[in-house]
Amino acid sequence: MKNEPFIICRGLSKTYKKGETTVTPLQALDLNVPKGEFLALMGPSGSGKTTLLNLIAGIDTPTTGGLQVGGRELGKMSRGELTEWRAHHCGYIFQLYHLVPILTAFENVELPLLLDSSLSRSQRRDRVEAALELVGLSGRSDHRPSELSGGQEQRVAIARAIVADPELLVADEPTGDLDRESATQILDLLQRLSGEMGKTIVMVTHDAKAADAASRTLHLEKGQLVEQMSAMAEGGAQ
Amino acid sequence: MKWQHLITLAWKQIARHRVRSALTIVGVAAGMFLYTAVQSMQSSLKAVTESGANESILVVYRENRFCPMTSRLPEHYLAEIKRINGVEEAIPIQITVNNCGASLDVITFRGVPPETLASYNPDLDIVEGSYEDWKSRSDAALVGEHFARRRSLSPGDTFEAVGVRVYVAGIARSPHAQDNNVAYVHLPFLQQSSRVGLGTVTQFNVRVSGPDQLEPVAAAIDETFASDQAPTTTRPEQAFFAQTAKDMIEMIAFTRWIGLGAVLAVLGLVANALLLAARGRIQESAIFQTIGFPRRAVGLIMVGEGALLGLAGGLVGSLGASLFFYLKSYTVGNEGLTLALNSSWSVTLSGLLIACLLGLIASIWPAILAATRPLVSSLR
Repeated sequence: MKNEPFIICRGLSKTYKKGETTVTPLQALDLNVPKGEFLALMGPSGSGKTTLLNLIAGIDTPTTGGLQVGGRELGKMSRGELTEWRAHHCGYIFQLYHLVPILTAFENVELPLLLDSSLSRSQRRDRVEAALELVGLSGRSDHRPSELSGGQEQRVAIARAIVADPELLVADEPTGDLDRESATQILDLLQRLSGEMGKTIVMVTHDAKAADAASRTLHLEKGQLVEQMSAMAEGGAQ
Repeated sequence: MKWQHLITLAWKQIARHRVRSALTIVGVAAGMFLYTAVQSMQSSLKAVTESGANESILVVYRENRFCPMTSRLPEHYLAEIKRINGVEEAIPIQITVNNCGASLDVITFRGVPPETLASYNPDLDIVEGSYEDWKSRSDAALVGEHFARRRSLSPGDTFEAVGVRVYVAGIARSPHAQDNNVAYVHLPFLQQSSRVGLGTVTQFNVRVSGPDQLEPVAAAIDETFASDQAPTTTRPEQAFFAQTAKDMIEMIAFTRWIGLGAVLAVLGLVANALLLAARGRIQESAIFQTIGFPRRAVGLIMVGEGALLGLAGGLVGSLGASLFFYLKSYTVGNEGLTLALNSSWSVTLSGLLIACLLGLIASIWPAILAATRPLVSSLR
């Protein structure tokens, strides 16, 4: 069902020490994201967008609160279990692409498939070629990242994120380092992945135009959703 | 995740960081060349000084003499030696060397009765030329394989050393290291051409019926000639070498410290290269983990890289050293005894294994660093 919450955050908080100071980038955040939704998270620097994204992607763990993704409680999983979970359920798209520079586009996209020892070499090749074709880069599979443009690199990164067919894609400023034309291509691609392939996408962005591509936009400020803050303020006033 | 994928990724890291990898491999190769060279010297020395279970050769030398130029024994001792119980075979040998001191290019002539060499030394294999040719020409020499390679000698050549000019009748190979470093010539010919004179020899080599006969026969020989004009000292061949070439042995034994230094240098070099690689790839390691690679896999890629660098350097260095020793055929000599510096497969293989092991050990800390960095901060 498309409207079932795929991501459920309840009282989600993250606190860490920075020298003598305790920093709380996220505090008591509640959020539901239905399956297949393309959600944009906006907010000023330091508002907790990337922290929330990292928690949802399972590369960081919450200090308190509950975080359920696809029916799995991430906060209760060990580091090893989170790594395994990411391999099968989550694709991460970075602002600066983060491709492995010594590997070709093909080899970069193939990386997540190496974790599945049941796949044969030809099965891996078929899936990598399909992913590269989907992002429109089938003719560039032998190129190294240094031989690609920024937009092409980001498309390879997207192919890498989707090649293992995860239900969830998280994208941290995926168009932040691209020109307008490349950014539009990336956003179109993300829309297709959500609309046609049913991927749940959580995207952090500073760019209102990028956020327009999403089906819903939420704003964060001081570690809380602005909508949530307004509701709490209204509740307090009553 | 399959091992082969990790090894492939490690190999790609090496192959696609060419300059860094080439420099590291050259460094490892230099260290392993030195290590293999030292080990070759040690193993060559061990082969000639360690008593084997089936050792059965005694060397009869002039008492209190340590150089073939001063050891002079009457040739007629041979008949008396042969009469002693336990003696199977005895051969008088005149030895002439170009240098009694320490030298890397010792030329040793062994003059032996031509009719007795084959029976005394049945293991001598003529690999080129002919034994009959050697027997039929008084100035002929059977040159040991190692000696021939060092001097680029072939049957039909003539060469002159220590004032002795000989014709190369054949190239001989023997399981006994000493035989490969010398040139066998006719005893009367050498006695005359080296001006020692007929009837005088440097030593007798005596084969006894078994290892248990070495001591009693040696004692019997020395006792027989104790009050003669030329008293003797008789020792097993290996012990004779160990005692006579004591200085050379001490010098070679010292080289093990050079070998140890080479090993430590390789360890430091690979560790440094991988540590720098690990630091330079903090973000890359984090990306691997974000994709879903377990920390163990990220660490193992680094360990694989270390092992492959060690293996590549070991291949170049150890095989290079073995090839170098084979081509140069160095022979260290002292007091007329020679030690051929030969590398063996076991030494080459041990060099390879050690290089690989050093690569593994050197990569452990960088691997831990690569695998345990906090993920979130590494991605920034």
